[in-house]
Amino acid sequence: MTTPQTTWSSQGPQAGISRRAILRNSAAAALGAAVLPSVGDTASVSGGPLPKGKVIDCHAHLTHHSRATWEADDRKLIDAADKLGIDQLCCSILTPKRPSTAAGFRECNQWLAEAIRRFPGRVLGYCYVNPGCGPEAVDEVRRCVEERGFIGVKLYNEHLCTEPVVFPIVELAIELGVPILHHAGHSHYFVEDQPHMSDGGHLAELARRYPEAMLICAHISGGGDWEWTVKAARHAPNLMLDTSGSVTDAGTVEMAVRVAGVERVVFGCDSSMTAGVGKVRGASLSASDKEKILGGNITRLLGRRKA
Amino acid sequence: MMIDVNAYLGHFAFRRLRHNTADSLLTLMDARKIDKAVVSSAAAITYRNAQAGNEEVAEETKGHRDRLIPFAVINPFYAGWQDDLKTCREEFGMRGLRLYPKWHNYSLSDPCCRELIAAATERGMVISIPMRVEDNRQRSWLLNIPDVPLAEIVELVKAHPDARFLLLNGLGYTSSPLGRKNNGLPANYAIELSRLSAVLANELGQLIANLGVERLLFGTGMPFSYPDPALVKLEVLDASESDKEKIRSQNAATWLRL
Repeated sequence: MTTPQTTWSSQGPQAGISRRAILRNSAAAALGAAVLPSVGDTASVSGGPLPKGKVIDCHAHLTHHSRATWEADDRKLIDAADKLGIDQLCCSILTPKRPSTAAGFRECNQWLAEAIRRFPGRVLGYCYVNPGCGPEAVDEVRRCVEERGFIGVKLYNEHLCTEPVVFPIVELAIELGVPILHHAGHSHYFVEDQPHMSDGGHLAELARRYPEAMLICAHISGGGDWEWTVKAARHAPNLMLDTSGSVTDAGTVEMAVRVAGVERVVFGCDSSMTAGVGKVRGASLSASDKEKILGGNITRLLGRRKA
Repeated sequence: MMIDVNAYLGHFAFRRLRHNTADSLLTLMDARKIDKAVVSSAAAITYRNAQAGNEEVAEETKGHRDRLIPFAVINPFYAGWQDDLKTCREEFGMRGLRLYPKWHNYSLSDPCCRELIAAATERGMVISIPMRVEDNRQRSWLLNIPDVPLAEIVELVKAHPDARFLLLNGLGYTSSPLGRKNNGLPANYAIELSRLSAVLANELGQLIANLGVERLLFGTGMPFSYPDPALVKLEVLDASESDKEKIRSQNAATWLRL
């Protein structure tokens, strides 16, 4: 009952199959897709080289330490990334109950800083804050980015992203040159347990208000009507679309690319690991487009860091 | 050999599907090295008269029966279902059913549903039940169709020990008697893997340990879904190659009596 696996240490993959194996199949899938009729898609695939760059999951979570199994759960995430050929995971830790207090998000970010040290080179950190905490949230973002090397900000559903209370966080992210991954979803009914959830339209509005900001609309495949979300985001060039989520509807990635442009689509899993990898692997896109989605685009964003 | 027990043909009312003709689906299957697929009508999910969808699938699969295995969508509350069942089995050669109790607004425990299952079983047909068609968060403003609760499946398999059930598009079995070891239930159901996890919680691995590998089947949900996530699950599953081969095709061949 064993499958060859790659183990990872700070020195890199140790043994077993290459972590590129799954992505090699991605290129094979792209070649296979070359013969498929492109129904409703502009994509035509002529094959091409294997994805060369890093594979970065732009939307991952480590486990809150109130859960007894957090350490094993975190290890499982890294093991899953190993199996699936994911080089790095952009992680946050969220409080189990929201709205988060300042003490609550500080604790999460402290644990995340420790995890970054525990999994060097594998875990990148988003600083999670509740913008409603005002200066305490702003101070936490600055501290995490400048002192702890976090790569961005994670905002959840405490406030609609268009509320003025969020603006100081956005302005600081612009100053620091880091992206904001924002929880989002659009259903055609009121989501009672998330009354302040933003959607692609809210994020597009925020993106137009702050064209210098780098915004990522979270999990288009786990946030309700993904066709609505993609269309709502269309005219906001500084709004990226994260492919993560448990939904594996065929055509999602291709539509995001067709409507928003390939440069605005970033690979993520949000803990739905095989769904996340499978969607990009299965999309009727060229190998070079997949390379951008799997890591090139988020790498470009992270390269704009000023701090 | 790879057999997909969870595929569809035709249009779906609320979203455009690609690869939803026989030729296009076969091309996709070729690209993914999937040899055979069980298909039913996506349109019949929302047609009032589901038999019209069965007729479309029967016509579409003509000439492809070596690879496409058509199943019938029957609504036991719709007039003439007994005639439709007879036609689907005897004339169209359909080997099984797909039931949509929530979409067709009936209960699996209703007497006429029980009558349908008994009649299909008597004809040697296998009964597959998709736990969902699509994620409910993306539902149209026109409707709100819940997933089929696993508790209702538990009662169903108990009530029909002689029937064979294939459970599609489901998850959470390990939190239900359906996925537990020594659960006292008849071994008359198999579980398709398209929504099961193969890493992290690894529900797929747990089900193999609890029920035995013979109860797991490969399925993709295409063309609603990309086939690749299901393929990736098999690739990363921590299981022997012989167990994977059972999941890929051997179990399906047994359950479908191919």
